[in-house]
Amino acid sequence: MAALEINGLSKAFGGVIALGGVDLSIPDDRITGIVGPNGSGKTTLFNVITGVYPPTGGSITWHGEDISGRAPHQIARKGLVRTFQQAMSFPGLSVKENIQIALERGSRQLRGQAPRWHTPEDLLDFVGLGGRGGDDAGSMPFGNLRRLGVAVALAANPVLLLLDEPAAGLSDGEANMLADLIMKLPEMGIGVCLIDHHMTFMTALCQRLIVLDFGTKIADGTTQSVLTDPKVMEVYLGGEL
Amino acid sequence: MTMEFLNLKVPMALGGAHGKAPAGSTEGAGNRGRRIEQIALAVALIAIVAALPSLNIGYRFLSIAITTGYTAIALYGLGLQFGQAGIMSVGHAAMLGVGAYTAAMLSNHLGVGFWAALPASIVFAAIAGGLVGLPSLRVSGQHYIIITFCCCALLVICLTNGGKLTGAATGLDVGSIPRVFGINFDKLFNYYYLVLAALVITLGLVYAIVNSSYGRTLRSIRENEQLARAIGINVDLHKIGVFMASGAFAGLAGILQVYYLRHISPTLYGAFPSLYLALMVMLGGGRLIYGPLIGAIIVNFLPEVMDLNPVDSRIAYGVALLVVILLLPGGVSSGLLAIYRWICGRLFGRVSKAGS
Repeated sequence: MAALEINGLSKAFGGVIALGGVDLSIPDDRITGIVGPNGSGKTTLFNVITGVYPPTGGSITWHGEDISGRAPHQIARKGLVRTFQQAMSFPGLSVKENIQIALERGSRQLRGQAPRWHTPEDLLDFVGLGGRGGDDAGSMPFGNLRRLGVAVALAANPVLLLLDEPAAGLSDGEANMLADLIMKLPEMGIGVCLIDHHMTFMTALCQRLIVLDFGTKIADGTTQSVLTDPKVMEVYLGGEL
Repeated sequence: MTMEFLNLKVPMALGGAHGKAPAGSTEGAGNRGRRIEQIALAVALIAIVAALPSLNIGYRFLSIAITTGYTAIALYGLGLQFGQAGIMSVGHAAMLGVGAYTAAMLSNHLGVGFWAALPASIVFAAIAGGLVGLPSLRVSGQHYIIITFCCCALLVICLTNGGKLTGAATGLDVGSIPRVFGINFDKLFNYYYLVLAALVITLGLVYAIVNSSYGRTLRSIRENEQLARAIGINVDLHKIGVFMASGAFAGLAGILQVYYLRHISPTLYGAFPSLYLALMVMLGGGRLIYGPLIGAIIVNFLPEVMDLNPVDSRIAYGVALLVVILLLPGGVSSGLLAIYRWICGRLFGRVSKAGS
């Protein structure tokens, strides 16, 4: 059984069905990618998993414990930490203080391990922001801001890190650097589940891809098999005329 | 003054670049130097303020100073709530009112004196703060501000209609503070020192809170509530916590006010006093440690210094607030800090940068 088991998960906003019974299992020892066209329910899936919205139906099991309907901070404390597309940092504070806040949280949820990063500087060096601790988080360039977002989430000591479109708006160079960073996480004991549109970024990172469309899972398997799946081709390129 | 301590964006043109705490400064020797600098500044300020009465400044000045002192204590609570957690209240006088009326009612109905009523005032005001804070878990921004205003109006209605219990519109009288070690608090000088002592304790506590992990948690809620939740911060709990802390300081201010005025009535805790508190914290700046104190000094001494009548002084406050919001969004304290940094930069140049 995988670390995160999702069964028949659904979420409706009034009459709009954002998720219509999704079954997923996401392990916490590798990188799993979720792709899908705009509006296919990817971010809603993250929002429901992390407690931002309560699910309409179905269950979410994390290491054998049902976490559906729990508050976001409770889920984060269990090691399911996410990033956001927009709200990446605490903008009015220094970069160092951003990390410090999250490290103080992470150090309370060590789950018997030694802390991976002892000081904010250690973590900033790891994400390639060494020496930027004094900068104001709100006035950082976008690429650095993305990394700061990842660093804040890492500081909170995740078991499974959920990244919501980490490469959106990044140049190819910046996306490659971010990919190198994400690639290191599984061997450090941090599983990654990420959403993105950037296919070269995703194929480079993920051994497994899950494809969502209109709130349902249409494909799930190795990256290569998913990319050649006719149903996926139809969603992305349109069906035969 | 370190950036952790001040935590404020100072306009770059005014020398804000000097204010950024570089990486690694927490354990650095430079930080210790700044700590010493801060403590020296605080000790110097306290010494000056403590020496004031011996300069034969007159009773009028002294009584305004007392008002400024207890108002500043309440403002420090509001400063935590507004400056650190980012939640404004325009009903904060109600918290003072709870503290003041707790003390006055204990005195009138149960014969409890100042010292025994002191913890009760603080606790009741903290509870009231927590209760008024509850709606903030559901509504935010201007909507919550309106709720604080309503809570304040509600308290005034309750106090006015409280019959003998609250003394209705006439209010309640209290006696004097019992002597401690032979100190007679009926003397204005001694009351001045009592308020000063309370203010110094408040300053110390607020400084400790702002620089603690708890202070950082509050700032994270101010800056990005969603992200704070996502890294495991119980935002709701900490919001109620800061409202209670804010209420506790107001309770302390309230009891000092009632034993200073010796008579209180509901109008002291209505809309106008509440707006003045909000005005003072915005004028002085809620995020810097001396901000609330500066705000209290400006608003309380301005009419005296400029010889304004109550109507003119309101106009002056309004103009001052507009000027501060437009030119110094961080309040007068941030402007003073920027000037201080600019002077230090000019005097010591690279030395202060390298030393930090």
